[in-house]
Amino acid sequence: MTDVHRTIDAVWKLQAARIIAGLTRMVHDVGLAEELAQDALVSALEQWPASGVPDNPGAWLTAVAKRRAVDHIRRSRRLEHGQGRLACELERQDREHGSGGDTEQDDVLRLMFVSCHPVLPTEARVALTLRLLGGLTTEEIARAFLVGESQIVRRIAAAKRTLAEERVPFELPGGPELAARLSSVLEVVYLIFNEGYSATSGDDLTRPELCLEALRLGRLLAGLAPHEAEVHGLVALMELQASRSAARTGPSGEPVLLHEQNRGRWDRLLIRRGFTAMLRAREIGGPPGPYVLQAAIAVCHAQARSAEETDWARIAALYGALARLLPTPVVQLNRAVALGMAHGPAAGLALVDSLTGDPALRDYHLLPSVRGDLLARLGRLEEARLEFERAASLAGNVAEHAFLHRRAAEIPVPAASGPTLGQAAREFLERGGLDAGTVRSYGQTLRRLRLAVGDRTPLASLTADHVARAFNAAWGEAAAATWNRHRSAVRSFGAWASMEHLAAGLDRRAETRPRTRGIGPAQLEVLWDRLDLPLRERTLWRLLHESAAGVTAVLSLNVEDLDLDDRRARAGGSWVSWRSGTARLLPDLVAGRTRGPLFLTDRRPGPSRVPAQADLCPETGRRRLSYERAEYLFKQATRSLDPAGDGYTLRRLRYPT
Amino acid sequence: MRYLMTTKASGTAPDEKLYAAMAEFVEELTTAGVLLATGGLEPGGIRVTSSGDGITVTDGPFAEAKEAVAGFALVEVRSREEAIEVARRFRRIVGDGESVIQQVFGS
Repeated sequence: MTDVHRTIDAVWKLQAARIIAGLTRMVHDVGLAEELAQDALVSALEQWPASGVPDNPGAWLTAVAKRRAVDHIRRSRRLEHGQGRLACELERQDREHGSGGDTEQDDVLRLMFVSCHPVLPTEARVALTLRLLGGLTTEEIARAFLVGESQIVRRIAAAKRTLAEERVPFELPGGPELAARLSSVLEVVYLIFNEGYSATSGDDLTRPELCLEALRLGRLLAGLAPHEAEVHGLVALMELQASRSAARTGPSGEPVLLHEQNRGRWDRLLIRRGFTAMLRAREIGGPPGPYVLQAAIAVCHAQARSAEETDWARIAALYGALARLLPTPVVQLNRAVALGMAHGPAAGLALVDSLTGDPALRDYHLLPSVRGDLLARLGRLEEARLEFERAASLAGNVAEHAFLHRRAAEIPVPAASGPTLGQAAREFLERGGLDAGTVRSYGQTLRRLRLAVGDRTPLASLTADHVARAFNAAWGEAAAATWNRHRSAVRSFGAWASMEHLAAGLDRRAETRPRTRGIGPAQLEVLWDRLDLPLRERTLWRLLHESAAGVTAVLSLNVEDLDLDDRRARAGGSWVSWRSGTARLLPDLVAGRTRGPLFLTDRRPGPSRVPAQADLCPETGRRRLSYERAEYLFKQATRSLDPAGDGYTLRRLRYPT
Repeated sequence: MRYLMTTKASGTAPDEKLYAAMAEFVEELTTAGVLLATGGLEPGGIRVTSSGDGITVTDGPFAEAKEAVAGFALVEVRSREEAIEVARRFRRIVGDGESVIQQVFGS
């Protein structure tokens, strides 16, 4: 990169959020706004090397991008209505919103809500937020998350498409929606921070640039939504955690545990900022939310001048409160650590032991690591060593892996007492006579068992209880056939090792085809009565229910395939037929159309998105409704009916109740 | 990465307009999470010199007052170029004069 390019990059990163937010207000489409902003950036890259960097580069970029937006709106309006009074209108709009700081800031906040919208999968929210609010390039995002750039490009493109299709409005959510939407934004920011703070993969323990990015997003959010206690809680939490980043790694990149850190290396400036944010959160008041509670825990650590002075009883109590709000196994695990410090290792171990069967923690290296620590403090060294080894084999991060390995190695190995589980498993698989498929299948079972119990556990000490725990965590919820396959692998291994009792805790499961349950008649009645929902949705649902045809087949129907009189339509090689409920709705949905997709999106695709000809309505220019979109709408509409609160899948309409 | 920007005293007294523009700039950078700390410094100050075993404490003002630092800003940015861009915007507001930006190591 030349100097000018680096300058352009810097200006862009500082201004991207404001520029894109301003453009989105004008064109009402985040994807388009970003494309227009990119155009302005390209102009800068073309012109600045020759003309020099303008005096006010940020204003230059903003002005060029706005001009592009006006041109774009003119072009598209000309297509629709002829020239019109667009220029005046835009100027008036611009004057009304003015360049007043508040509106500009509100626009940035709106942009944040859009890029963290719950219609998007979490990964897409993260990528889009870094792109739109942080001004990062797709290459930078890919590097930060150690994935290929093309994957990020696809992820962002899909996110923009979804936002356009869902017609996510550029607005500040209000009322009851606000809390949910805000928590989605906070989640994205904290995810970015955590990926930077404790990299889940790769060679380095942290990726400071991601922490910085998240901190900036958090501080920005606190400035934009100053009356939300949780926002300040999150900022406090991040500032306080970031204050320890220099002390968290040793000279050769190894992690240094909190109680061994040199507190002199904690960043006092960030600690003070964290305390200030915490004070703001407290001033706003209300019952503390999860971020405020986590920040309060971080405050306890920051206030302790030495590890010994840490108020573990208070921390344990705060984790207790947090566990009531967020009863996740990871929170419980942290609570166990605090309990172990406040009330002795036995108290901690009791809680940890209750978590070992939790499938969510199956591959979580910190579970055996915490357990090993508590066992070591109880003097149960041999067990502790095995736990550290198991933790090391689960850690995805190189620095952590080495650290856990060393902790295991520090505990002396007792005299050899027969083969270990790892040795026995290898011998079992490598003896002759097994075909490749069996070796692979048995290998899977034993690998899981070795991860769960520890490779170096002496085979003789392996019990049926170990095996049963490992099975329940790994395949407790799996299909019966899967369970049985692994069970027979263990039985075979047990027979070979003369330890037939190993599978004693594993019952053979009856294999029946899982049946997708239909939706109850009362609930269907509620659904059919929802006249407030769009006609398209009601027709699609009725048709699925009455025809019992596949969702894809029904969505692929074209108007010309319909035989309204005979209540049937040709779909591929077969027929989809319906009854009176659908028949009443269909004519209105067809509404005089003679051909093209039966179920259409609400609006025409953007200029950069050209669907296949067969998926475009020749009369309206709109495209075929996608499975994802249809599924999403149905889930939304049935969320209140579903006892689990998730909403139903469309497939369930096809099944009898 | 963090940069410390120090600014030398300028001969001219700031007016209302400059104060307002500065306040807006500081607010924007604080909200954006870029500006971590900022402050103005008293002219002169106290000089502490060590030489051999002796330590001398001298009250200001000093002769070379024009070279003295009058204010500082600690910013957290992604790159050297961002630090320069922030400084550029600052200089555009305050008019003639000079600032120095230096990366802060170990943070």
